[in-house]
Amino acid sequence: MRRYVLGRLLQLIPVLFLVSLIVFAVMRLLPGDPALLMLSGAEGGAITPERLNELREQMGLNEPLAAQYLNFVLGALQGDLGSSIRFQVPVIDLILDRFGSTFELAVAGLFLAIAIGMPLGMIAAARQGGWIDSLCMTLSYIGSSMPVYWLGLLLVLVFSFTLHWFPSAGGGSFEALILPAFTLGLLSAGVLARLIRSSMLEVATEDYMRTARAKGLFPRLIIFRHGLKNAMIPVLTMIGLQFGALLAGTVVTETVFSRPGLGRLIVDSILSKDYPLVQGAILFLAVVYLLVNLAVDLAYALLDPRIRYGN
Amino acid sequence: MATETLDVGAAERPVRLALGRYFSHPGAVIGLIILVCWILVTILAPILAPYNPADLVARARQPPSADHWLGTDMLGRDVLSRVIYGSRISISIGFIAVLLGGISGVILGLLAGYFGGWTDTVISRFVDALLAFPSILLALVVIAALGASIQNMMIAVGIATLPDYARLVRGTVLAIKSQPYVEAARLVGNSHLRILARHILINVNAPIVVLATLQIGSAILIGAGLSFLGLGAQPPTPEWGLMSAEGRQMLQRAWWISTFPGVAILSVVIACNLVGDGLRSALDPKMRMG
Repeated sequence: MRRYVLGRLLQLIPVLFLVSLIVFAVMRLLPGDPALLMLSGAEGGAITPERLNELREQMGLNEPLAAQYLNFVLGALQGDLGSSIRFQVPVIDLILDRFGSTFELAVAGLFLAIAIGMPLGMIAAARQGGWIDSLCMTLSYIGSSMPVYWLGLLLVLVFSFTLHWFPSAGGGSFEALILPAFTLGLLSAGVLARLIRSSMLEVATEDYMRTARAKGLFPRLIIFRHGLKNAMIPVLTMIGLQFGALLAGTVVTETVFSRPGLGRLIVDSILSKDYPLVQGAILFLAVVYLLVNLAVDLAYALLDPRIRYGN
Repeated sequence: MATETLDVGAAERPVRLALGRYFSHPGAVIGLIILVCWILVTILAPILAPYNPADLVARARQPPSADHWLGTDMLGRDVLSRVIYGSRISISIGFIAVLLGGISGVILGLLAGYFGGWTDTVISRFVDALLAFPSILLALVVIAALGASIQNMMIAVGIATLPDYARLVRGTVLAIKSQPYVEAARLVGNSHLRILARHILINVNAPIVVLATLQIGSAILIGAGLSFLGLGAQPPTPEWGLMSAEGRQMLQRAWWISTFPGVAILSVVIACNLVGDGLRSALDPKMRMG
């Protein structure tokens, strides 16, 4: 197990390297000079060549590209992602300030996705071909074909404007979290339900399931002890991937519900051309996504010995 | 695997079999009908739309009525006409993005799988790095670099879907490149390009078609989401995501402005997914639908 963990950690290094390279390259591809943007964007007034050069020197833009990249990576490793052009404060402070709200939303969404998707998929598999199965699968089909923002708007229309149960916008309170969390969670629930259904149906044909049935165990026990446990392996991977999708989905959801989160921050900073902030925030989210997937991989290596010895 | 004797003279049979399998799924048929209807709408938009999508034809924010089936928007434009014309933009975003991502992803996957070695290592690491970003995030990176516009959004969504094709094609190529018929083609002295095109690509086209169909739906969703955020189509373009965003501020007083474009997206995406699933079970009997 230790070798497996170590191996997976080592595999992460080249990916992190490439991710940082892609994010850095994006910054360089930008039309225009970041220092010039910074001057015209934030300081206003006259842009003198002296001031521009001073700033370029200060931001390290006069150095060769390789050195700039090295500085970027070394800085990022120490938590220094540069300064925001618009807010004039370190990018990392802004990210950490907003990330709590986004993380809370993603976790709440994931919780709902599992709480709704798991039972739905299991019922559908247990009653394969019946009307419950058709209903569950139709719902999950519709759920995964819906634009995130549209579901959010519908929920606001019904539960906020018509029924007045929850606030339509804002952050900070538990009530304000419910509608955005359902927006995210319902979409992932559909994906999860379908996956759990097909995974359980696949497992149902395995030899050990036939043995369990032949032994005369209760059907419910067979489903939970033998079926679900083995069907969970692909599902866990999917949950990891879905968490990434949820983190990304917060970008849209936070806009719909005017929540002050990291996703909203990224969109605003793209629109206001605050490139250090875009770069830092996207790198941050990509790293969080990688770490979550690593944690999921490790979790299922723990559950399934075949995986840690196989590779 | 294939041990049956070949039935000579029945070359059209696989196609007919596949068609038969496709049309035996009611969902797949419904999906195809919806999709064909939408494609007709995009073509016949000038005939079908009662008004010009850019014209202010009535008072603002009128609820659905006999004159304006889906109401009017915040400026007094006809929502139905805008939804109809919007299909041209939103649906072509899906198709073009998938075409862009599909072609580049397939080429990368073919090269990686066929040549192996360093080519494979470099391409696979690059694809891994792209996969490290959730697709919306990857699209955001590209838009941040290129600027917000419809063209850039198509490129962004295309790049976001590219890794899926590359991975799929690479895996399939790895599985078939050691098949006797590929070896034979190589021994006879065919060029790499010819082998790739004539012997390998032709055997991976079924999974590519299935993936592409399913991807059109998700490309339309990502595209609409980006436009909703203001990072894609810009006003006054009648694009479905942007229309929902424009109506968002007056959702309470005029729900129809934001909701109807969403219904349009939902129906197109469901149709694409149904067709994709139908194709999958038609082209690959091993993966029949439930």
